[in-house]
Amino acid sequence: MQSEDEQVVDSSKAETTKTCTQTPEVDDWANFRDDDIMQQQSAIQAVEADKIPFVGDKEPLSSLAAEYKSGNPIILEKIKVLTEQYAAVRRTRGDGNCFFRSFMFAYLEHILESQDRAEVDRITASVEYCRKTLLSLGYAEFTFEDFFALFLEQLESVLSGPEASISHEELVERSRDQSVSDYVVMFFRFITSGEIRNRSEFYEPFIQGLTNTSVEQFCKSSVEPMGEESDHVHITAISDALGVAIRIVYLDRSCDDKGSVTVNHHDFSPVARDPTNANINNNSNNSQPIKPFINLLYRPGHYDILYPNN
Amino acid sequence: MQASRARLFKEFKEVQREKVADPDIQLVCDDSNIFKWTALIKGPSETPFDGGIFQLAFSVPEQYPLQPPQVRFLTKIFHPNVHFKTGEICLDILKNAWSPAWTLQSVCRAIIALMAHPEPDSPLNCDSGNLLRAGDIRGYQSMARMYTRLAAMPKKG
Repeated sequence: MQSEDEQVVDSSKAETTKTCTQTPEVDDWANFRDDDIMQQQSAIQAVEADKIPFVGDKEPLSSLAAEYKSGNPIILEKIKVLTEQYAAVRRTRGDGNCFFRSFMFAYLEHILESQDRAEVDRITASVEYCRKTLLSLGYAEFTFEDFFALFLEQLESVLSGPEASISHEELVERSRDQSVSDYVVMFFRFITSGEIRNRSEFYEPFIQGLTNTSVEQFCKSSVEPMGEESDHVHITAISDALGVAIRIVYLDRSCDDKGSVTVNHHDFSPVARDPTNANINNNSNNSQPIKPFINLLYRPGHYDILYPNN
Repeated sequence: MQASRARLFKEFKEVQREKVADPDIQLVCDDSNIFKWTALIKGPSETPFDGGIFQLAFSVPEQYPLQPPQVRFLTKIFHPNVHFKTGEICLDILKNAWSPAWTLQSVCRAIIALMAHPEPDSPLNCDSGNLLRAGDIRGYQSMARMYTRLAAMPKKG
């Protein structure tokens, strides 16, 4: 099960932090270095990688039910409810990047299928705004420009222009190729960090509630490093920064007092923003909440992609 | 591989530009291998490392900048977070807190900051860490000072 896999990865992370402390009881500690630990960690990750690619294949929801066959009845009941609205799931690897990876694939797949040029133009303007934000925050351009360029390249490739768009198989393949997939994930991490730091007064209370660290420290330790898991702060920030609505469907063991089961979801609706300036238009009455085209399934500790019934 | 090379080349150009701005750091790329760098950093003032010049060796992985460079002290140093024998450095940004927003240059700055602000609670050098944890500031400073003189300063005469 996914959660067990994640525990393996997590315990290896804990190991890394522990290595900094030298225990006098271990005689041959001098020969046992952080490099060894890091190698061991990447070996564990390689084993994980064999089990599931960065982005899996589309599977019917019944495969989800099969996972809980002898498990929690509430979860099974909820999966039944889910099938009324959703048809399929696409799993992502539980490597701490699953939210960003799911978002990446769901977004690019949507553009590939909808060929929505207006949306591409809109997000390109948002990306440009994010670039300026990072520069104004003091980030050196050469540290992030490669990640931006790679995302824009993917965006262009899924839209038919003078050249035909890439095929769906090609998109899946690229999402599984570390040199593309990890760069796009990192691009999102830069975007998220820039958004949070740029509106630090807004995000500060949420961050205080999560970790009791400063906004800057949070971005440095929990947003920018690869493999750091995402929380509602990250999701709110990327949704606002890129102007993309995201629906998160919760699959957990919660139920109401009477024991009846409903599946909760939460829509992250981006704040209305004029991409040419930083002012956020809070009283925009004309902007109706849009139905998100990105649907993610959240199980405690992990995100996968959901596909609605058509 | 290609991506890391391109990024390192940008850093190389940036280092040439920044030379004057950061006189405490002299970062040099190996003539024949862009994945090998060395740095000379000045021990920060008002620390036992003041007046010393410390050499660091960088080994950059092919996955850079998604993965951190490996850095160690070549110059012997008595510091709680540096391994006394291997020169290995215990610094979160070189491990799990790494991100591509860091550069070789800013890593050097972080190491200088670590020299000035040791973290004795996660020591790689227990003797050094224990002195600080026991509150023996004088003992720590004189040991660190001695090794700075022995290893990080030009021999007189």
